[in-house]
Amino acid sequence: MSVSRDEVLRIAQLAELDVDEETLPTLADQMSRILDYAAQLSAVPANGTVKVFVPGPDAIRFRADQVTPSGLAFGPEEFAPAFKEGFFVVPKLGQFE
Amino acid sequence: MSDAKAVADRLVKAKRLNALLTPPKDLRKSLNTQIAAARPTGVLYGMPVAVKDNICTLEFTTTCGSRILEGYRSPYEATAVAKLKAAGALIAGKTNCDEFAMGSSTEHSAYGRVLHPLDKTRVPGGSSGGSAALVAAGAVPAALGSETGGSVRQPAAFCGVVGIKPTYGRVSRYGLVAFGSSLDQIGVFGRSVHDAARVLSVISGRDPRDSTCEDRDPLRLPTVPESLQGFVIGLPKEYFPPELDPAVRRACDRAIRIMKELGAAVREVSLPHTPYAVPTYYVIAPAEASSNLARYDGVRYGPRFNGAADLRSLYRSTRGQGFGPEVRRRILVGTYVLSAGYYDAYYRRAQQMRALIVQDFRNAFDRGVDLLFTPTVPSPAFKAGEKLADPIAMYMSDIFTVTANLAGLPAMSLPIGRAKGLPLGGQLIGQAFLEDEMIEAAYALERVVPATDEA
Repeated sequence: MSVSRDEVLRIAQLAELDVDEETLPTLADQMSRILDYAAQLSAVPANGTVKVFVPGPDAIRFRADQVTPSGLAFGPEEFAPAFKEGFFVVPKLGQFE
Repeated sequence: MSDAKAVADRLVKAKRLNALLTPPKDLRKSLNTQIAAARPTGVLYGMPVAVKDNICTLEFTTTCGSRILEGYRSPYEATAVAKLKAAGALIAGKTNCDEFAMGSSTEHSAYGRVLHPLDKTRVPGGSSGGSAALVAAGAVPAALGSETGGSVRQPAAFCGVVGIKPTYGRVSRYGLVAFGSSLDQIGVFGRSVHDAARVLSVISGRDPRDSTCEDRDPLRLPTVPESLQGFVIGLPKEYFPPELDPAVRRACDRAIRIMKELGAAVREVSLPHTPYAVPTYYVIAPAEASSNLARYDGVRYGPRFNGAADLRSLYRSTRGQGFGPEVRRRILVGTYVLSAGYYDAYYRRAQQMRALIVQDFRNAFDRGVDLLFTPTVPSPAFKAGEKLADPIAMYMSDIFTVTANLAGLPAMSLPIGRAKGLPLGGQLIGQAFLEDEMIEAAYALERVVPATDEA
């Protein structure tokens, strides 16, 4: 199974990632190799009865329903690329297809 | 009690390795402040600990080795860092790493590759290569790293230091920048088992800020045992394939002989799904990464890359230019395996395989084995550039380490010999939350194994 150029572009669009023309062939080739390599997992018969492993505590621990201070040393105006009057500033929405 | 100047001097002396991202001036200034504030009664009082750059600190920037977080200052610090400071330790700067911890050689950092401390033409391993290199060079006695698939143990093996990955849920991940959330754990490097273990003991334990952290007391350190009497050590045959590097095999054979001489019972076991561990990992980890890294879009933090006429092109250009090639590759692979039409063929299969890998370990431990012993990596440190063009070849250096991450088990690497001067690591894999047993065995082995002798 191989990933085509167009498929890389479609996936890049889903991932909101610009991919430039020069790297496209290498990327398609490397993704194909990685996915072909991962395809060996299909050698294992699909088994609906295998219970998925979830690491970590067996049950979610509940916390007391209390408001606690955020504890941030400084606010977003210090680290956001553009921040004004309590809002993150972004360009206009544009066309979302 | 160390003084700030001596601590900083040792780190600056190791500058040629490119292992530390913190500028010397910032480091010196912060160490002066930290020393004045350090609590003299803390169990790590005055101990400098370098911290991987994907762990949030208030003292220094947190860039994850990425352009997309260039200059980013976190408004909060990781629980592990807060615990270190409360114990009197000094945060000795931020260490270089593969971008967002994705890599096995620390060549995938936006801030340049890290050099192996014993051979500058080679890699220190990764992704926590900067932390490993600084500990190996003697610049710090201990450092924090993080693991998703072996990013502490593999560089520890390559650099000849001790690296411990605790059980999933042993150490709080609050303030660890997320990569693969079902796999990530903070780990530690040390010059010795004891240095690594005491730092681990300090950072471990419950944290109300991380619901995936278990409600347990901090790890209690075992005493150094006289022997390994009573220990049953399993040798998984899949970890000793015919193509294993002969020096790695000799070093392992020697360590196994020593464990027997120390009184351990050694027996062969089988973990039959091991050959599927790497493909399983390289489906699950990118899938989780593609989701976790969706937050870097040029809106809330980090620099914004231009050409942004509208919001969507802002996202795309920032992510396209801000992420390096390996991160882009993994985001794309992750998005692919989660996309409609491929989810069942890749992601669901990988989840099922993960469950079978976990079951393999359960079966081995159920048959009375206390610990498993394996090589950490199939070969010594490789040359820089050697595996850059071939992602699969790079991924294969994680073959013996990813399984413990997939199963959430504690595991560690310790030096067991050298091959033409390059360090080799032996791995112990323990049962969940039984780090104390694993560390006890490592204490015994460390005392007698000729760690710097040719194998």
